[in-house]
Amino acid sequence: MKKKTITIAASVLMLSSVLSACGSKENNNASPSASSSASESSSPSESAAASSPAAVENFDISLRHIQISDLQKFRKAILEEVVAKSEADVPGAKFEMDPVEDSVQRFTKLPAEMAAGNPPKIFDLFGGPGDGQKYARAGKLLDLTPILDELGIKDQFTDFSTFVVDGKVYGLPIGASSEGFFYNTEILAANNIAVPKTMDELDAAFAALKAKGITPMAMGSSAAWVPFMLVNTLVARYAGPEIQAGVGDGSRKLTEPEVVNAFAKYEEWIKKGYFTKGELGIDYTGQINEFIGGKAAFLFDGTWRASAFTAEGDGKALAGKVGYFAMPSATGGKGDQTAVNYNQNNGYGFSADVNDNEKAAIKAFIKNLYSEEYQIRGFKEDGVLPSMKVDPSKLPTENPLTKEAIAINAAAGSVFPHFDSLVAATVNGEFEKQIQNLIAGKATAQKATEAIQQVQDKELAALK
Amino acid sequence: MNKTLRNPYVYLLFVVPTIGLYFLFFVYPVFQSVVYGVTDWDGLNPAKFVGLENFINAFKDADFTASIRNNMYFILFSIFIQVPLIITFSLLISGVKRFQGFYKTTVFMPSILSTSIIGILWQFMYHPSIGFFNKFLGWFGIEPIYWLSDPKWAMLSVLVTNAWQWMGFYIVLVLAAILAIPKEINEAAEIDGATGIQRAIKITTPLIMPIISVVVMLSIAGAMRVVDIVLVMTNGGPAGATEVMASYMVNKAIRFGQYGYGTALSIIIFAIALILTAIYQLVFARKSERVEY
Repeated sequence: MKKKTITIAASVLMLSSVLSACGSKENNNASPSASSSASESSSPSESAAASSPAAVENFDISLRHIQISDLQKFRKAILEEVVAKSEADVPGAKFEMDPVEDSVQRFTKLPAEMAAGNPPKIFDLFGGPGDGQKYARAGKLLDLTPILDELGIKDQFTDFSTFVVDGKVYGLPIGASSEGFFYNTEILAANNIAVPKTMDELDAAFAALKAKGITPMAMGSSAAWVPFMLVNTLVARYAGPEIQAGVGDGSRKLTEPEVVNAFAKYEEWIKKGYFTKGELGIDYTGQINEFIGGKAAFLFDGTWRASAFTAEGDGKALAGKVGYFAMPSATGGKGDQTAVNYNQNNGYGFSADVNDNEKAAIKAFIKNLYSEEYQIRGFKEDGVLPSMKVDPSKLPTENPLTKEAIAINAAAGSVFPHFDSLVAATVNGEFEKQIQNLIAGKATAQKATEAIQQVQDKELAALK
Repeated sequence: MNKTLRNPYVYLLFVVPTIGLYFLFFVYPVFQSVVYGVTDWDGLNPAKFVGLENFINAFKDADFTASIRNNMYFILFSIFIQVPLIITFSLLISGVKRFQGFYKTTVFMPSILSTSIIGILWQFMYHPSIGFFNKFLGWFGIEPIYWLSDPKWAMLSVLVTNAWQWMGFYIVLVLAAILAIPKEINEAAEIDGATGIQRAIKITTPLIMPIISVVVMLSIAGAMRVVDIVLVMTNGGPAGATEVMASYMVNKAIRFGQYGYGTALSIIIFAIALILTAIYQLVFARKSERVEY
């Protein structure tokens, strides 16, 4: 009898320790899985539903965003409003906001979560073969086509092609942007420098500033996507606006002399010391702070940065003292020299693993966020160009920088995208590596382009 | 009751849960790693068997071999700079009559701080314009050094920070060994006219060789798996100058979704660590295993 008791006690102990070790937080309702929530949603009996009003079922829906610093305060405010509206639309829904730094989200957290099969329900997502399209092909993203059809907004977007796989839409761009030069008007005026119209004039401006001990261009290259913006535009200027698409589909090569010339121009600027000293140890925020602090004359950044240089922005010290222009034309440059960079590659994606409640919350989120109201407010408050078709007369143009950017874009003969929306993650990574190698003096323009093309050739061969 | 407790199966029943969990969370993942290491698994799609391709590619990969070299710098710095400093500081603190506890606590403090905090603190120390080092060098008219953004200096900067973090822990270990040496030995040497330095070199150090051997081995093991301080301070940069094997593996597996290749790298890291510690054990550690007073 005693033996039996001890055996039972030991078995209970064993089982309880195994069960406690394998327990989950499902019951806490912190992050209900699709299956558990689905069963919960079907649990109330029909008789109960008939006799009393349907009980509101509370559920959480995770929302990963990248609006973490003061520089993104306007965008965060818009997101919070959208969340409040969506919570009101879907009784019981509680959006759990999860802010993460953008590079960490794109390159570390989301890829790891995708591999583990537990991404948030709503998350910041980039399009293209290295991000959104890769996840969509693996069945990790929610097909938004039926939701867009139901909401009647599918034809409202100007371009969401980088989120499309086999005709289905898996993500929605939150806005559009161009990349160009911001400049400190006071520094340029004090040094008798006119806004450069050609690459030679830009070179001369850099040289004049450098000679006077002023850093020509603020640059933070610890994360290589920052200088990559500049290189991407330089490549288009020298090799034509079709180069990105051409390299992406294999019809063009990065080893073409014009592309090498673009890299050589960038290498020349590095060697001449036109960028912030110690740029490899400075991050994106550090770069902006340097420009805001008046320590550098130029800043190459996206049009979204325009909101910083207003009376309410982080760079209010420079309010009214900043101008914007697109990359000047290059002598001997191929193709349309007025072409501007135009990206609609960042927005939101949604997990494929959602139940009916979560899908309803996602639908409400899309309905509220992707509306004319927030496209206009994003433009007005944050300098984000609309990703949806908005009547131009409704877009306020108080901010001279956005006004300038729109005018430049309107005058441009064509547009070109960023390489990262057209090439695989490994190619994008090789671009970034070679850019940092150029900065560190570990590569030459020729070797860098050859190395990137080699990785792209390998990726294209794998697709065949 | 006693009869029951004499039954070995009852004991087995008690350890089964732990063994089960151990197999589930340690043994099974190890075997799973070996399996993934010979596939091209990308974390999203079904894995395909590729044989030893990942392992062959790893040794052809110039970035990975560079990261192995950086790990070797950690080992060499530990053995030739860190360990002598640990012994010196331990000897100095053991000789202190007053406030010995204070010194012990002070040197131990960095080891209880989180690596993230240490990384951020030292980033300020290395800051080109407001950092302590450049301010200090500035007094002698030396131009600012870009400690963490210049490939020439970044590795050394990380090595120094890593040494600062862990030296205190090892000092306390060595100090305990020094204080355990019978006082009579030192007193006898003192009566025979040995100076403090002579006693430290000829008596104390040989007597603490076993613990020094342990410190060296722990340093080698620590240097092989170093990654956190690198990720916090430089993230492997500038331009790969501080990339170590583990940070390279994480980057390849997670950012680029090359989980098969990343797993192969982790097996190589394990093998290198195993070989190095085995060599050390066989060549050096065995000789200093026993000390008889």
